Amino acid sequence: MPTISFTPADLYHLIGQRLTEAKLKFLVESVKGELESVLSREITVKLNDTNLPYLWSVEGLARAFRGLLGKKKGIPKVKYVRTKDKVIVDRKLAKIRPYIACFVAKGKKIDDYLLKQIIQLQEKLAENFGRKREKISIGVYPFRKISFPIYYKACKPTSVRFVPLDFQNPLSLKEILAQHPKGKEYGHIISGFKDYPVLMDAKKEVLSLAPVINSSTTGKLEIGDSEIFFDATGTDYDSVQLVANIFAYALADRGFKIYSLVVDYRGKKVQTPSFETRAVKVPFDEIEHMLGIKLSEAKIKLLLGKAGFDYSKKKVVIPSYRQDIMHPVDIVEEIAIAYGYDKLPSIPLETYTVGNTFPIQRFLDNARDLMVGLGYQEALTPLLSNKILLYDKLGVNDFGTIEIKNFMSANYSCVRTWIIPLLIEILSKNKHYDFPQRIFEAGLVTRRTNELVQDEYHLAAASSHATANFTEVRQAVEFLLRMLGLRYEVEEFELGCFVPGRAAEIRIKKQPVAFLGEIHPEVLRGFGLTMPVVAFEINLSALFLQV
Amino acid sequence: MHPFERRVLPALASFNELGDISRETGLKEVEVMRALQWLANKKLIVLTSEPKEMAVLDKNGQLYLKKGLPERRFLEALGDKSLPLVKLPEKTGLNKEEVNVSLGLLRSKAAVILLKDKSLRVKLTARGRELLGKELLEEKFLKLPFPIELAALSKEEKLVFQQLRKRKAFVKVDVVKTKRAELTDLGKSLLDFGVRDENIVDAITPEILRTGKWKGKIFRRFDVQINVPKIFAGKKQPYNHFLDWVRQKFIALGFTEMTGPVVETDFWNMDALFMPQFHSARDIHDAYYIIKPKQDKLDEKLVRRVKQTHESGGNTGSTGWGYSFDIQRTHRLLLRTQGTACSARMLASKELKIPGKYFGITRCFRPDVVDATHLADFNQTEGIVIEEGLTFSHLRWLLELFAREFAGAEEVRIVPSYFPFTEPSAELYAKHPELGWVELGGAGIFRPEVVVPLLGKNVPVLAWGLGVDRIAMFRLGIKDIRQLFSQDLNWLREAKVV
Repeated sequence: MPTISFTPADLYHLIGQRLTEAKLKFLVESVKGELESVLSREITVKLNDTNLPYLWSVEGLARAFRGLLGKKKGIPKVKYVRTKDKVIVDRKLAKIRPYIACFVAKGKKIDDYLLKQIIQLQEKLAENFGRKREKISIGVYPFRKISFPIYYKACKPTSVRFVPLDFQNPLSLKEILAQHPKGKEYGHIISGFKDYPVLMDAKKEVLSLAPVINSSTTGKLEIGDSEIFFDATGTDYDSVQLVANIFAYALADRGFKIYSLVVDYRGKKVQTPSFETRAVKVPFDEIEHMLGIKLSEAKIKLLLGKAGFDYSKKKVVIPSYRQDIMHPVDIVEEIAIAYGYDKLPSIPLETYTVGNTFPIQRFLDNARDLMVGLGYQEALTPLLSNKILLYDKLGVNDFGTIEIKNFMSANYSCVRTWIIPLLIEILSKNKHYDFPQRIFEAGLVTRRTNELVQDEYHLAAASSHATANFTEVRQAVEFLLRMLGLRYEVEEFELGCFVPGRAAEIRIKKQPVAFLGEIHPEVLRGFGLTMPVVAFEINLSALFLQV
Repeated sequence: MHPFERRVLPALASFNELGDISRETGLKEVEVMRALQWLANKKLIVLTSEPKEMAVLDKNGQLYLKKGLPERRFLEALGDKSLPLVKLPEKTGLNKEEVNVSLGLLRSKAAVILLKDKSLRVKLTARGRELLGKELLEEKFLKLPFPIELAALSKEEKLVFQQLRKRKAFVKVDVVKTKRAELTDLGKSLLDFGVRDENIVDAITPEILRTGKWKGKIFRRFDVQINVPKIFAGKKQPYNHFLDWVRQKFIALGFTEMTGPVVETDFWNMDALFMPQFHSARDIHDAYYIIKPKQDKLDEKLVRRVKQTHESGGNTGSTGWGYSFDIQRTHRLLLRTQGTACSARMLASKELKIPGKYFGITRCFRPDVVDATHLADFNQTEGIVIEEGLTFSHLRWLLELFAREFAGAEEVRIVPSYFPFTEPSAELYAKHPELGWVELGGAGIFRPEVVVPLLGKNVPVLAWGLGVDRIAMFRLGIKDIRQLFSQDLNWLREAKVV
């Protein structure tokens, strides 16, 4: 989620009034943001709504705040000129990076702060909304160095050369991808294509290699410039238009005059930015049904204005810098926020419902209670584990493990398939405490048989003290099974972690449901344990089916 | 009174010191000490301890006590003869040093003389012959019952002691702290009254109960304030026990528990929740994908409805996200990242009741580095309320209820928030009596784009998630979230039950 910074003075100037910190906090919350810090020279805000990118600039925030404060309701009017200047799009880009939106902004001198704000918005839009430039990338250029018409072309990687930003010498497109830091970072987006998307002007001067890097000759906006050429390229038509509108509005809010251009797709011409609004019906019924309050039409009109919409003939007019209104419920939320969540009533739920847990949870809890009765201390371990602990250290074969492809730490690289190893690990970390040590855990394990994945509830326990033996652990298991009302058979059993001849399997109607035994001294040695350990593990899910 | 006490008390009438009492009663010194301590606690005696100088036999002293003093063996070896000095070690069985020492000693007592012949010879004097038949003072001294308090030695004994101290490792002085026990007036009167074993019942044994021997006797009173050793009984894991309480609370509020698989599909984890497939939360670093199996089977009718909703809104009244939904991708398997997946499954389940209230406490997984605020896997507590006619104002009431029930908070703040699956969405802050304002959870009304494809119709669904771990940490008094899964047996044993 994007975080942006700006000066308090700039924000207050754009709003047209100063704010107390409490008021500022309230306004930031109203646009689903968090006030990260307020310093005398800098305010930092985190914006949580990934679907409202127009708020990722101080200009956008100020526009929203002006509405909520009632200072300027509805959609602001933008000063712009429709020009016939052209950006001509190469058809070959249709499968590479087909869409582009451009405009020119003139009339304000760019200082250091404004340049930083422009770059901040450009980065947030391209990185977050543009998914690291894959979907959208943005370029800003000093317009004085550019002449129309502009060509958005598909070029062979070796056919065009230019000097990229921060470099001294011209490189081919292919060389830029290989050598330039931005080429290494973003080159993968286009490197799979035969041709790369290049923006050049009437004099064949390269502006940029989209979405990688601008030219150092024509693509470097500097302090003192007052005319900007803007381009957004990408793979999604609507998003490209949206980003151009967001940027144009932000600059217009600063006092720039916008000159829209014609993007010529060779057959279809589009004026960008569109500044196109759209209108949807005001969901009067939904407002009442969803919020539980009755609002007059006049009140709704007022609230829509505060939320930054126009109202016309029972319709909501949505500005071109917003694409988040997908459903009437989105309008309902806008109304609720403008009304104030804190002013909504609190209406009690009155329908009686019976509470319950799922059946195996109670079975699990009964088993836990019995274990506590046996004097065992309950433990709790993560479900994520690793195969070395689960199998190698126990001398046991893989039970069918769910392994993580993109694990963060090898310690947590798979889902546990049984619990005994985790209990022995706990014992190995507590050798200095009083014995006997008796611990248990009841919880989920996950196992895979071919394509079938199954969660099972297991109960495992370990007892460690000088005279821990098979009899003790079998007594415990039999106590549990008796108390759960089960008939069972005890069979001989072999598993790497147990001493041969001192392990048993419990079966119910021929189905194995548990195993138990004395842990092999070799296993204990591996864990650095010098006190005997006996353990059992019960598949409670399998038991539950027998109850 | 303990049997030890009953044996020690009478002995105190004639003895005051530990060793004496031990000898008198036949108890070990530690047993006497315990009895004395108990008696002192009852104010029957006063215990004092003072340093004392004690004369004790050293290594050689003990040795010669058994073997006889070297000078005695020297005298006996000589007898009436005169022997050459060089032959003495052989004749006496003493080493050279012992011979020299004995010779010096006996000469000073005028018991032997040296004759200068061709070589040096030794011969007894009359005094020497007299000594031969008499016990030496030193011999008498060594036989005393050591250790002996220095002050208790007679004048003559003291003189011998001084002499012996000059000899190598014969005797030494030890400073020891001796306990003295003096009867108090209360102790004396009790002793006069008589302490008789046969009148007192100690442990209540089956034998006493069977025979009724306890009748007419006094039960020994115990010192109930004395420390007893710790025991560790079985008990629930502290955090699990807290979650049991949370579960119980929800059930009391009329909620039914729901669950779902640990290994989930993209479909249930995200797509069914109207999170677009290009949403940043879908990038590989935000969910754990598994190696095998890669895909799971799904209800393809349901998948088609969700696909249409994502692409164009389907029949939900939405514009949809306007992209081409990837069917392959929705079948991918990952580890559940959010408990809301269970809510989505519930909405599509035949078990769903309308009106209904559901909750889940589910283990979830996100790729985070484990630290004081992040776990490898963690629990999410979330749920839904479904009923015709529910509004955002009902949700407000519900959140206030949760804040009161789970955090003891009377004051709440509900502020706008964003979740891809709810609209309107809210964040819940509660004023905890001790922690102050805490972020307690997120909530909202499920979007029609979530409800309609899963349920087949649009019914209001209030959805919420609560951060109960923060409350658990507060209650258990811990700062590091990793401690919720602590492997420290001492913590597990000692943590208070909340």
